[in-house]
Amino acid sequence: MKPLDQLIREEGAIQDRSIFWNEDIYQQELEHIFARCWLFLTHESLIPNTNDYQTALMGEDSVIVARQADGGIKAFINSCTHRGNAVCFADAGNARAFSCPYHGWVFGMDGELVEVPLEETVYYGDIDRSKLGLRQVAKVESYKGFVFGTFDPDAPSLEEYLGGMAWYMDSFLDVPGGMELMGPPMKSVLDCNWKNPTENFIGDGYHVGWAHASALKVAGGPLEKVGGLGFFEMDSGLQVTVPEGHGFGVIWDAAAALHPGPVGVAYQEWLDQRSLYIREHKGEWQEKFYRGHWNASIFPNCSFLYGTNTFKVWQPRGPNNIEVWTWTLVEKEMPDELKQMLVMDNMFTFGTAGILESDDGENMEQCTQVNRGQVTRQGSIYLGMGRGKERKEPGLPGLVSDGWMSEASTRGMYRRWADLMSGDSWAALAEKAEGASK
Amino acid sequence: MTNTSAISKKTSAGQPVDRETHFDVERFLVREARLLNENRPRQWLETMVAEDIHYFLPVQEIRYQKDQKPIGSSPGAAIFNDNYQMLDMRIQRLETGIAWPEDPLSHLRRFVSNIDVEWSELEDEVIAYSNLMVYRNRRQRDDAVVYGGRTDRLRQVDGQWRLAARTITIDQRVILDKNLCYFM
Repeated sequence: MKPLDQLIREEGAIQDRSIFWNEDIYQQELEHIFARCWLFLTHESLIPNTNDYQTALMGEDSVIVARQADGGIKAFINSCTHRGNAVCFADAGNARAFSCPYHGWVFGMDGELVEVPLEETVYYGDIDRSKLGLRQVAKVESYKGFVFGTFDPDAPSLEEYLGGMAWYMDSFLDVPGGMELMGPPMKSVLDCNWKNPTENFIGDGYHVGWAHASALKVAGGPLEKVGGLGFFEMDSGLQVTVPEGHGFGVIWDAAAALHPGPVGVAYQEWLDQRSLYIREHKGEWQEKFYRGHWNASIFPNCSFLYGTNTFKVWQPRGPNNIEVWTWTLVEKEMPDELKQMLVMDNMFTFGTAGILESDDGENMEQCTQVNRGQVTRQGSIYLGMGRGKERKEPGLPGLVSDGWMSEASTRGMYRRWADLMSGDSWAALAEKAEGASK
Repeated sequence: MTNTSAISKKTSAGQPVDRETHFDVERFLVREARLLNENRPRQWLETMVAEDIHYFLPVQEIRYQKDQKPIGSSPGAAIFNDNYQMLDMRIQRLETGIAWPEDPLSHLRRFVSNIDVEWSELEDEVIAYSNLMVYRNRRQRDDAVVYGGRTDRLRQVDGQWRLAARTITIDQRVILDKNLCYFM
């Protein structure tokens, strides 16, 4: 592996291609990024009752996320402490305990080992069950319903980790009732590196008009005019990068842009009515963000399109393969009928058979797979759009740049990637992040 | 169609259809697969699909057998949950000439088998069960196979059969391909 300052150069504008292919780099990502960062697990609305559980992935580690009797949420590694077998094979459910199918050890919904068959005889009553619980995920926290976990006991709180991104996301998370996810998630696979889709969602407004030209032409609506990339207005949105590595692009007044027909009308009516509340209780900026369409990523592997209602996690499986998990993001207080329509539209655009999904999947796979070439992957790739045009905007966290087509937030993501790959302490990381945002 | 046969259909809901009807339905399913294999989705839609179609492929969670109750607020997700207009939009997109993932075209080969046809409770309708295998090959060596089953409702209108509803079951929790952007 080359030194980090050769992998990411020029403030994130140049990436060495090996970061999309190299197995050693991937293993270091699992150690320095996926075993340390806050990773999305589930939404509270998907496990509302005591003993409800979901299985999830943290990097390549399989975990169980369970609602506790006291209303809290715990997560633990899905691997028996006896011989290592998995103890849960379902996506979700409600259970009083998990029994390992190998020798029948029983673990409670808090992960504790509660029963060992023949404990008094074959173990002579001499086994310390309190030391043999399922390994706990170090921290599990919810930010306004969205449940994340980290394996690093020294990690900052989830709210600190989200940093400036939380301020922006509050524009829609703070609606009365908040947001929720509709599942179960769709799951599919892509032969790409996990960073390709994260960077696509965090800040690739540029591809929208070209890669998705066919879908925009059919769906119509306000985005149709950027189809073919013959036209763009720099005041039509913003791109944002926060020091914590997260970011997004926003197109003003376009939340409902990818909902053609009656769904778009119903959704726009809802937005019009709710945005008055946001303006009054949060402010004018927040109202703009609430009414806008977002393409966003929470570093490292959680992405969403606010407005198009898609919410995804890119689960890494080796340097050139991922699982794509897709839920639908809606406001909790929306009428069921509106939620249903938005679910249908999200599936139609960004589900496993979505008409925009297929455009992206093809590009992401090829961006990774070309690096199979020994000579090809010696090179670097270029992310210089709008470089040097980032600026501070009074009242807004992080750095912004004009126009939702920029690569500012993607550069921010790669700066953060390089910082984390150094293995620095969280204190040192915070210092670096602070410096980068000046 | 005589009155006699209409009456016998209603009372025989769930019973196997007669040989002639079975033959018609089997021909319908095979012809449908051929039109789609030959990349003629517009012709498929306009000549074989009813305007009130519900084209449905639900997501199936893995659950323990004793624990099949849905939890949380989710009413369910579906990979396809289309009406006629949505199917039409998918085809329109392919017709734009700028749907990059389908140029060059993928090779798609559908195999339909295990066809079992029963009278439905409705006049002029049958329920057709079939198994489906789709082989997809793209670019140089990008390929995938999907296995599934279908439960179709076919309706006879003016002597022509039309697909009125299709529910597809894919035998994979994680779809082991990049997407399912084709008709099954």
